[in-house]
Amino acid sequence: MRAKVLVVIALLLGLHLALLLAGFVAPYDPTAQNRELSYCPPTRLHFEDGSGFHLRPFVYASAVVMEGDQAGSYQEDRNHEYSLRWLVTGPSYKLFGIYESTVHLFEVDEPGRIFLIGTDAYGRDEFSRVLFGGQLSVSAGIVATLITLLAGSIVGIIAGYYGGWVDELLMGVNELFLSLPWLYFLLGVRAFLPLHLSTLRTFFLLTGVIGLIGWARPARLLRGVVLSSRNRNYVLAARGFGATDSYLLRRHILPELFGLLLTQAALLVPRYIAAEATLSFFGLGVNEPAASWGNMLSALQQYSVLVSYGWLLAPAGALVVTSVLYSSLAEVFHSRLKSHTT
Amino acid sequence: MSYILRRVLRAILLSFAVSALCFLFTEMAPGSFFDEMRLNPQISPETIFALRSSYGLDQPLAVRYARWVKAALHADLGYSIAYNMPVRPLLWSRAKNTLLLTVSALALTWLISVPLGVWAANRRGGWVDKAVALGSSFVISVPELVIAVALLALVVRWRILPVGGMMSADSDAFSTLAKVQDLARHLALPVLILVLCEIAIIVRHVRASVLEVLGATYVQAARGLGVSQGRLLFRHVLPVAANPAISLLGFSLAGLLSGSLIVEVICGWPGLGPLLLEATLSRDLYLVIGGIMFSALFMIGGNLVADIMLIAVDPRIRKEGADAR
Amino acid sequence: MKLIHLALHVCLLAGACFAAAPAPEAAKPGEELARMAGVTGRFGGGLTIGQRSEPKTLNPVTATDAISREVIGRLMGDLIEINRASQLTEPALAKSWKISADGRTFTLQLRKGIRFSDGHPFDADDVVFSFNVYMDEAVDSPQRDLLIIDGKPILVSKLDQYTVRFVLPRPYAAAERIFDGLGMLPKHLLEKPYREGHFAQAWSLNVPPTEIAGLGPFRLKQYVPGQRVVLERNPYYWKVDRENQRLPYLDELVFLFVGTEDAQIMRFEAGETDMVSHLSSENYNLLAREKSRIGSQLADMGPGLEYNFLLFNLNDLGGKKLDEVATKQAWFRDLKFRQAINAAVDRQSIVRLVYGSRGAALWGNVGPGNRLWVNQALPHPTQSVETARQLLKSAGYSWNSAGQLQDPTGRLVAFSIITSSSNSQRMKMATLLQDDLSHLGMQVHVVPLEFRAMIDRVFQSFDYDAAIMGLGGGDADPNPEMNVWTFNGTSHLWHMGETQPATEWERELDQLMQQQMVTLDYAKRKQLYDRAQQLIAENLPFIFLGTPNILAGATARVGNFHPAVLDPYTLWNADELYVRGSALENAGVR
Repeated sequence: MRAKVLVVIALLLGLHLALLLAGFVAPYDPTAQNRELSYCPPTRLHFEDGSGFHLRPFVYASAVVMEGDQAGSYQEDRNHEYSLRWLVTGPSYKLFGIYESTVHLFEVDEPGRIFLIGTDAYGRDEFSRVLFGGQLSVSAGIVATLITLLAGSIVGIIAGYYGGWVDELLMGVNELFLSLPWLYFLLGVRAFLPLHLSTLRTFFLLTGVIGLIGWARPARLLRGVVLSSRNRNYVLAARGFGATDSYLLRRHILPELFGLLLTQAALLVPRYIAAEATLSFFGLGVNEPAASWGNMLSALQQYSVLVSYGWLLAPAGALVVTSVLYSSLAEVFHSRLKSHTT
Repeated sequence: MSYILRRVLRAILLSFAVSALCFLFTEMAPGSFFDEMRLNPQISPETIFALRSSYGLDQPLAVRYARWVKAALHADLGYSIAYNMPVRPLLWSRAKNTLLLTVSALALTWLISVPLGVWAANRRGGWVDKAVALGSSFVISVPELVIAVALLALVVRWRILPVGGMMSADSDAFSTLAKVQDLARHLALPVLILVLCEIAIIVRHVRASVLEVLGATYVQAARGLGVSQGRLLFRHVLPVAANPAISLLGFSLAGLLSGSLIVEVICGWPGLGPLLLEATLSRDLYLVIGGIMFSALFMIGGNLVADIMLIAVDPRIRKEGADAR
Repeated sequence: MKLIHLALHVCLLAGACFAAAPAPEAAKPGEELARMAGVTGRFGGGLTIGQRSEPKTLNPVTATDAISREVIGRLMGDLIEINRASQLTEPALAKSWKISADGRTFTLQLRKGIRFSDGHPFDADDVVFSFNVYMDEAVDSPQRDLLIIDGKPILVSKLDQYTVRFVLPRPYAAAERIFDGLGMLPKHLLEKPYREGHFAQAWSLNVPPTEIAGLGPFRLKQYVPGQRVVLERNPYYWKVDRENQRLPYLDELVFLFVGTEDAQIMRFEAGETDMVSHLSSENYNLLAREKSRIGSQLADMGPGLEYNFLLFNLNDLGGKKLDEVATKQAWFRDLKFRQAINAAVDRQSIVRLVYGSRGAALWGNVGPGNRLWVNQALPHPTQSVETARQLLKSAGYSWNSAGQLQDPTGRLVAFSIITSSSNSQRMKMATLLQDDLSHLGMQVHVVPLEFRAMIDRVFQSFDYDAAIMGLGGGDADPNPEMNVWTFNGTSHLWHMGETQPATEWERELDQLMQQQMVTLDYAKRKQLYDRAQQLIAENLPFIFLGTPNILAGATARVGNFHPAVLDPYTLWNADELYVRGSALENAGVR
């Protein structure tokens, strides 16, 4: 059990480090276009060529094979080998937005190109984009989840604990929020914003909009649990002994909610990251050329892209990994809490 | 009883609030139904202006709202600009299909996810648990639309099911049995997509709340007393664990309803989804508002049912209804 | 057992689909039918078309959306048609017409003895009635504006039962083309709702098939809400094929409502629909790869008439609180600035990456698809960042140490391009353009907006810097372009609502467009329009980017599949389409 916990934490750390150091890990600028290499499939790493086995992996250049006047599939040009090099200089980037650097974890010899998970429509390196996109998407997903759950718990606990007209009012507002036409609302919101939104503003906007729309569900769930736990015999007994509201909440009610909150958190983070795909339709997402998992996934909604360029599923893969890790973490937390309380 | 009465009152108030906000939103959203005509060089702005006023769109918001409420009280939900038809029959002919889809998906989701969640919790850390965790992470992480398109792509390749629609074009001539079969075949795919999208959430909640109760002191005490696992599960754990799950039922209906919007569009299911999406994008105001009101009522109803079930499972809550503190 | 079941199924299928279809009526003496000399085919069977959404109405006078028109077009007949293959006009319900020397009076001779799809005879009264309805202000037909020239309606009068005269307020080049798309209405069915003032509600989707009739090849059979419209053969249709058999060949034409563009492709790939048009190159290539498996006919018709362009906001912003846009307009108004952008655009990449090489680069508003009117003499300079930089430098722009472009007052050049988020092709163009312009040191932001939100900014609020849009596609003739290029035109996008031409070249352009409209001789008109195209290309109110090829597909069983570059691309010859032999025999029809 302990070993599993360590593995989860190590993987999570690794993931976040890779995202944080995206500039270093990614071989290329995420916005750099290679117009000759649009939708290039993942570059294969080779160890063997005609002259035998090499310890240092190398790649071949990809080139389009023409079919008549139409571009056909990509093939490797076996004439030149480009070796993989570690810690080399390449395009400059800013680490944490401050330190300017040109050192990259790996790259291949120029003019070769290494696209670990292929390129998108403009020939941009999908691997670099996943890393850079993750920075914004993962943090926005977490912050939005925190906002949602915080607002949801406050409302849910108040409604469930105090009951009566407070409950009636809060749940009325809650249902109102659940039934409003948010698509229409988004259109309206966009109209009131300036045309160009900086990445920072987009971040606040995304988390704000999601929090505003999202709090209603958890609030209602939490309210249900509070409602029944406040009527448990031991809670009623404690109240009979003169326990204050805050004591009851802290000692008896909140612990009951942890499981639910963690489950919700593990569900909401990936949901919210993916939700950006929808928001970007209304001009509220992260705009090109900046990468985010949401706007990368929105390209996949096209049938022709999905069936023709499978490697573009990479952001979904990254999201699955992230969400598995987060739910394992939630699980670990949960069992820790349990073992403490009992 | 007074509890239910209060809920009904709330539902009425809510309907007013929803409709008022809908009107406000429609006012805020840029563009109007007639904008598409602006792109057609053959139509003059005067014509567009005349059209706008003939639909009363040049009236102030409050006037339009008051008119709408007055008509809505007589079950008249207004007039669709695009269809040149009253909204109510338009909605009704499609609402039936949406209900069919959502209710089937709801039933299937719960039929699968409750046993699965209980099983996963009961054998915590076992392979079922792991598979559920991994599977649900996967389904949550991929946007619904991508799941839908991917499944459709498979169906296109394998030709196992019809790719969309609700009935075969020639189904009028089928026998009743064949018609039901035809419907079921068309229903399978959209239901599957909806179930996939919703099931992860329910399974996880069921599992979490069963675990919660399994870890509770009294359950462990009961186990110490030698109560069998099965009896423990069904007599002591599940009734208590049902609470959050039931709260969830209310909006799993709402969730399915909004999810069905997308699924219906992509699967060509003749429900409210394609109608409302198009109405939203083309700013066919009264159709949008009618559709929203319809799904709001649906959701309020779902929550009401959930609350009543909550009381049935946990009678202590009912007392609460009376002694408002 | 299984075999019997299958056989039963096939019988049911065949029976349900086609047994009820009416047989073509035998020709009556005196009926003046149109003989299509080159057309042969086989009778029977039906075809299914997937539509993105359902039509909104079947009323040809009030319909505004393309999807409704696609269906309505099959139900209605026009007096004069534009042949989609030749792009020329040809007689339809009017078997001939005469134009007076001054080009103002049209005298149309109607076909005698032909009937509406309900069997009721058609004559001049129906024509006069139809035009009265189309031109009635109270009906608010979108086609009305086409028939009002200089604020005056066209005068329509009946000379005898089969002769109608149209008098135009002034000469109007190619006026016969406006008859295309104006479906003739049955007076006997529509006069009552018209008199009673609820014409707009007539022929909504739930109209009983007995109450709707037209002169098109098909008539309404059934509408299933949210699912499909079924049309059946009009047994009284007025065209015959080479063997004098009454068209159309098809018993039925079914429009399925499938939801999305992707669903159109998937349904087609799965064999559930028979034809697709408006294909994107990605989808076309996808179908091409699957061609052997699904056995389809694909057609790349070459560039169409649509032109996509970058547009700068040159509107008069007086009175609007848009100071930020207003300061940027100093750049946009500078011709050299626009020329620099024009030079920096990599059109070849647009054609390759956006259209998958199935499209053409554009340097003017008329593309290579419009063979009759394109100005071949316009230069097609290749992309040159160097030229662009020279132009900017000569206009007083400079670059700071970080390589960012500064205007003569030292402001950094940064602007945003709005585009419709539902149009993935234009989104791609914007992203390419952004990259191109970054090489000039310009900071460009791409802002996708929902379609109507974008239109609202371009037409109403003027709160935008630049936009990528597309126009055109209706007809090859210059006249539909009038509203874009005349200074007070309703689609004069870069500067809406001008009260007089804002610049000298706009004045000249306006005159050229007005002149070409009253010039009846093609060669003279072409000369005028060539000069107009030249002015546009030189002054760059739009930076033209590209035009997609018209791509369409049909299953192998569709006969006479001849898509055109004019809308409706695949259904314009619906009366000639037929189901190929073996497919029919399988279904056991006649």
